[in-house]
Amino acid sequence: MKTAGPPEEASAIIHHRPLSARDLEAILDVTKALAAPFDLMTMLGEVVAAAKQVLGAERGSVWLYDEPRGELVLEVATGIQPVRVPWQSGLVGACAHSRRIINVPDCYADARFDPRIDKASGYRTRCMLTLPLVDHKDVLVGVMQVLNKVDGVFDADDEALATALAAQCAVALQRVRMTAALIEGEKMRQALEMAREVQMSTLPSGMPTVPSYDVSATFRPADLTGGDTYDVSLIDQGLLVVLGDATGHGIAPALSVTQMQAMLRMAFRLGADLETAFMQVNNRLADTLADDRFITAFIGLLDPASHRLRFHSGGQGPILHYRAATRTFEKYKPTSFPLGAMHLTSLRPAIDARILPGDVFALVSDGVLEQENRHGEQFGEARVQQVIEANRDRSMHDVLALLLDSVHAFADGCPQEDDVTAVLLRRDPAPALRREFERSFGSIPAMVAFTAEAFSTFEIDPRLLPIVDLAVEELFTNMVKYGTESNAAVWIEVTAIDGGVELTLIDRDVEPFDITRSAEVDVHAPIAQREPGGLGLHLIRRMADSVEYEYAKESRQSRIRLRITESGLAARRGAGATGVTNARD
Amino acid sequence: MLGIEFGEEGKVLLSGRLDAAEAPAAQSFLDRVEGVVTLDCERLDYISSAGLGVLLKTQKRLLASNGKLRLAGLKPHLHDVFTYSGFDQLFEIEPAK
Repeated sequence: MKTAGPPEEASAIIHHRPLSARDLEAILDVTKALAAPFDLMTMLGEVVAAAKQVLGAERGSVWLYDEPRGELVLEVATGIQPVRVPWQSGLVGACAHSRRIINVPDCYADARFDPRIDKASGYRTRCMLTLPLVDHKDVLVGVMQVLNKVDGVFDADDEALATALAAQCAVALQRVRMTAALIEGEKMRQALEMAREVQMSTLPSGMPTVPSYDVSATFRPADLTGGDTYDVSLIDQGLLVVLGDATGHGIAPALSVTQMQAMLRMAFRLGADLETAFMQVNNRLADTLADDRFITAFIGLLDPASHRLRFHSGGQGPILHYRAATRTFEKYKPTSFPLGAMHLTSLRPAIDARILPGDVFALVSDGVLEQENRHGEQFGEARVQQVIEANRDRSMHDVLALLLDSVHAFADGCPQEDDVTAVLLRRDPAPALRREFERSFGSIPAMVAFTAEAFSTFEIDPRLLPIVDLAVEELFTNMVKYGTESNAAVWIEVTAIDGGVELTLIDRDVEPFDITRSAEVDVHAPIAQREPGGLGLHLIRRMADSVEYEYAKESRQSRIRLRITESGLAARRGAGATGVTNARD
Repeated sequence: MLGIEFGEEGKVLLSGRLDAAEAPAAQSFLDRVEGVVTLDCERLDYISSAGLGVLLKTQKRLLASNGKLRLAGLKPHLHDVFTYSGFDQLFEIEPAK
């Protein structure tokens, strides 16, 4: 097994005998020469030239060991595909495997020798010395072959000389390879840094001002890799809200999300609607991204006037909607595949979320959810929800900061492996008026004045006022009747909600009394069996859209919350009542 | 504030708010009526369960002596209260004009 080495030099061949001082000098010269080059091809040329010179050979070649692929590689010349052979095949393979020098005085008499290359090149190999290149850390670097000693065959002296030379060559080659790897790494690092800069530059420089909304977003890049992006900007179509996360490591994800960001903005600038933008960008990404790459992305448009957030999500989750009215989280599912995964010809309808006062819409990337602590636990979605719920009355900027603090504290020194990105959007909470009333029936006129003031202040539908007054009075008189041991004033709060009103009554220093569990009244009973008791709560249950009761043990506080809307009333009037008039005579 | 007084043809005129604060006054007024009595509710703006209680107690008393309360001129939102409480079945209610 042999091949032609680098171009022949017609230099004088030095003849060696014992490993003399002169031999050593020659090797040291070689060592000096080997210290200079930094690129592999030059170094290989130097090594081969040195071997030919020191050993008096006609030709030489070096096979490098590619450990991950288990192959020996012969670099022929820059730009030409190298020759590769399995690391156990032929003479070079045998040498690499045994790590021993192999001296073949007559190649054509040795079964391991492959004469085909001679045939192809027209060169005749007589004798050959094959020696392992092992560096000082005992790592196999490759195999060197020298062919055809000028005046005979290679002898034991040559073997000794070659062994000394091989050690030098191995170290030099290994140095070049490691330097090359370092340079490659540095190039990668610089390229990554540049890609990250480009990625960061596409993020909005600030948050737009959106009437009756508080919007905040954050992006904290991981050290090494990550492909997150977000966008929050006012465009003709509304408030554009984007959170994307590209797969993969290295430079690619940073570049693909940058590409997506640019495509999206362009599509919307050209007047595309949500569906068109989503499909077009998806299909363009499917064309351009490598087959194993895709981007999960949430793309939404909020109309701040109608408070509708229409969105598509290509595999991006969680999409969290905190509903202030019920203090619960709704989770939406993605509407489509990750972007760029495949061509789309049709799309499911977008999700159309109504954002009510006080609602929070939250998007977080994997970097938040998958942040691990020392025990290998992940931060997870529940913790995100806790932070939002517990701080729902604070600014979104503060909530984001608290979320990041919370993730950081959870990690407890564990590294951030992925980009951390989050977008939070909250519709301003409904305005509320609150006042306290002395625990006595005499407070009723003041309460009536208070609800009228609140209705006028918040421009609530005046048709609801008598019903609100009824509810307030019934709940309040109940508290006066059953909370005789308390002297604390009763708090009443009126909040404007979509299409109606929310009432909160807080009764302090009392025993629990869950009005939602009070007995039903039989409204069809004959008059003799009818009693006034329980009627008030019955009426409230009939008129309110919802009634909630909470009791706080520590503060001995009952809190009743109900919502009344015109649409809810109309619906119940239509369904429940048996007719508006029933004059019977 | 609640207004309660006798009008023409022995009718009882109710006006304003019949709530828990006013219920005692309404009760003592209605405790004195007898026979078939029409409550003119045209100017009544509000009634709560305390007010319904006053009417129920009066109705039971009058029915025992072949009398009764009739309601006239109830505003629609007050009519809802009567319907939801089933009181539309306990009283004769004249349709609103």
